[in-house]
Amino acid sequence: MRASQINHGLDFMRDAFNEASKLWWRFFDWLAVVEWRQLFLTWFLAVVFCIILNMPEPAFWYVLISFGVKVLAGGKRRAELVAKEATMAANVATLERRLMEAQMAALQAQVEPHFLFNTLALIGQLIETDPQEAARVHAHLIEYLRSTLPQMRARDGGTLGKQVELSKAYLSIMQARMKERLGVRFEVPDFLGSAPFPPMMLQTLIENSIKHGLEPKIAGGTVTVRAYVDGATLHVEVCDDGVGIDPHADDGIGLANIRERLQLLYGANAELVIHTPPAGGACALIKLPYKMMETA
Amino acid sequence: MLTLGTKPLTAMIADDEAPMRDLLRARLAAVWPELRIVAEAANGVEAVALGEQHQPDIAFLDIRMPGLNGIEAARRLYQRSHIVFATAYDQYAMDAFEQGALDYLLKPVSAERLATTCARVRSRIKAPSPAQPDIGQQLAKLTSLLENKGQEKPKTGSYLRWIQAQVGASLRMVSTREVLFFQSDEKYTRVQTASAEFLIRKTLKELAEELDPDEFWRIHRSTLVRVDAIGEVARDLRGRHMLRLRGHPFELEVSRNHTYLFQQM
Repeated sequence: MRASQINHGLDFMRDAFNEASKLWWRFFDWLAVVEWRQLFLTWFLAVVFCIILNMPEPAFWYVLISFGVKVLAGGKRRAELVAKEATMAANVATLERRLMEAQMAALQAQVEPHFLFNTLALIGQLIETDPQEAARVHAHLIEYLRSTLPQMRARDGGTLGKQVELSKAYLSIMQARMKERLGVRFEVPDFLGSAPFPPMMLQTLIENSIKHGLEPKIAGGTVTVRAYVDGATLHVEVCDDGVGIDPHADDGIGLANIRERLQLLYGANAELVIHTPPAGGACALIKLPYKMMETA
Repeated sequence: MLTLGTKPLTAMIADDEAPMRDLLRARLAAVWPELRIVAEAANGVEAVALGEQHQPDIAFLDIRMPGLNGIEAARRLYQRSHIVFATAYDQYAMDAFEQGALDYLLKPVSAERLATTCARVRSRIKAPSPAQPDIGQQLAKLTSLLENKGQEKPKTGSYLRWIQAQVGASLRMVSTREVLFFQSDEKYTRVQTASAEFLIRKTLKELAEELDPDEFWRIHRSTLVRVDAIGEVARDLRGRHMLRLRGHPFELEVSRNHTYLFQQM
C-alpha cells in the first residue's frame, strides 16, 4: 500500500514538472517573439495590479526575469522560429513544384502519335466517302487537341463539366473508328458540371479502358462514365466490360501520375481505386472532396 | 502455290477499323484495278479463318488487331499468301520490317506509296526469288520483339504488378506501387497501403517469388517491404533493428539474418 502511494506521489510530481516545463517553454517562446512595446505594457499592468494588491514583489521578479530572458535568449530563439517557418514555406514550395511537374507530365504525355495518325487517316478517308462525317470527326479532333496540348489548353479546364465534354470529343472520334465495337454511356448529372475536377484524369482513365479493355476484345464493349456525390465526396468512375486487367501488366505512367497528383492536391482525402466487377471488365474510381458550390 | 496467267490475283484486307478497310479498298481499286478483294476481316482470328478459306494471293494485315495481332496472324498465313503489313505509326516495327525485307504500308495509305508497294509485290509474286529470307523466322523474331518493346501491345513483364483483394462482391486491384509492405498474418497476408489495409490469401512465399525483387525486399520471415518506402533503420532499446517507413507511421522489425541489407557500404 505504501509503495503504491509513493508511486502515485512520484507520478504526480513528474506530471506537474512536465506541465511546468511545458508552460515555461511556451512563455519563453512568447517572450522571444513578442514586441518590446507589448512587453512594456504587460510590465505596466503587472506593476499596477500588484500595487493595488499591495505586494509589489512578484511584479518586480516578472519584469526582471522577462527582461533578462528577452535580452539574452530572445534573438536566438526568434531565429530558430523564423528558420522553422522558412522550412515549412520551403516544403510547401517543394510540394507546389512537384504538383506543377506532375501536371505538366500529365498534359505532355497525352497525345499519342498512334491516335493522331489514325484519326488523321480516318479524316482523309472520310473526305472521299463521307465528307459530313469527316467534318464532324475533324471538329472533335480540334476540340480534343485544344485540351491536350499544353500550349493550347484553355484556362477553364478544371471543372468536371469541361472534362466530360472533352472526353465526349475523344470518345466520338474513337466511335467513328471502332464503329459498333464501342458503346458509350454517360451518367453525369448536370449539377455536377461546375464541380472542380483536375484536368486529364478522366481522359486517361477512358483511354486506358479503350486501349487495354476494349480494343483487345474482338466484340468490343461499352465505356460507362458515372459521377455522383456520396456525403462530401465526389465519385467519378470509368467502367468498361472489356478483357479486364492482367495482374502482370504494368499499371503505366497514366495511373501513377493520377495517384501522384491526387496526393499532392488533396493529400489523404482523395484516392484512385481500381477494381474488377464480378461480371468482368474493369472500373477505375476517383474519389475526391466535394464542396457545395453556391452559384448565383 | 500461286496461280498465274489469266486468272486475276486475289487479296484479303484485315483491319479492325472499318474506315481503314474502306480506304485501303478504294486505294487498291485505283492503283491495281485487276486485284480482286475476296475477303475482309475485322480481327486477327477472322483474318486467319478467312485466309485459310479463301487462300488469297496477298494478305494486307493491320498490326494492332484484337484476338490475334497482325504478326501472329501472318505466322499462320505466310505459306499460302504474300503478306503486306499495315501500321499507322511505329518506327520500331517499321525498322524491323525493313531489316526483314517484309512488305509494309504506312497508314494513312497514300496512292503513290501503295503503287510502289504493289509493284514490288507483283514482281515478287511473278518471280519468287530463291534468296528470299526465311519469312517464318523473321515473323517469330518480330513477335518476340514486339512483345518486349513494341508499342502495339501493353508491356507485360513476368513480375506481379497488381494485387487482387476481395472487397465485397468485386475484386479490388491494388497496384504494387501503392503497397508499402506485406506481412503474413497466420492464414492471411496483410497488404498495407498508405490509406488502407487488405487481407489476401496469397502467401508471403508466393508473393516473394512473383514480385520484382528490386521493388520489394524481404526483411523478416513474415515481412516484405517496398524498397522506395524505406526511411531508416535504427536499433531500439532491446537491440532489435527497427525499420521506419518514409512519411508513414509504421515500424517493422528487421530480423537478424536480413540486417545485412542495411549494413553500411
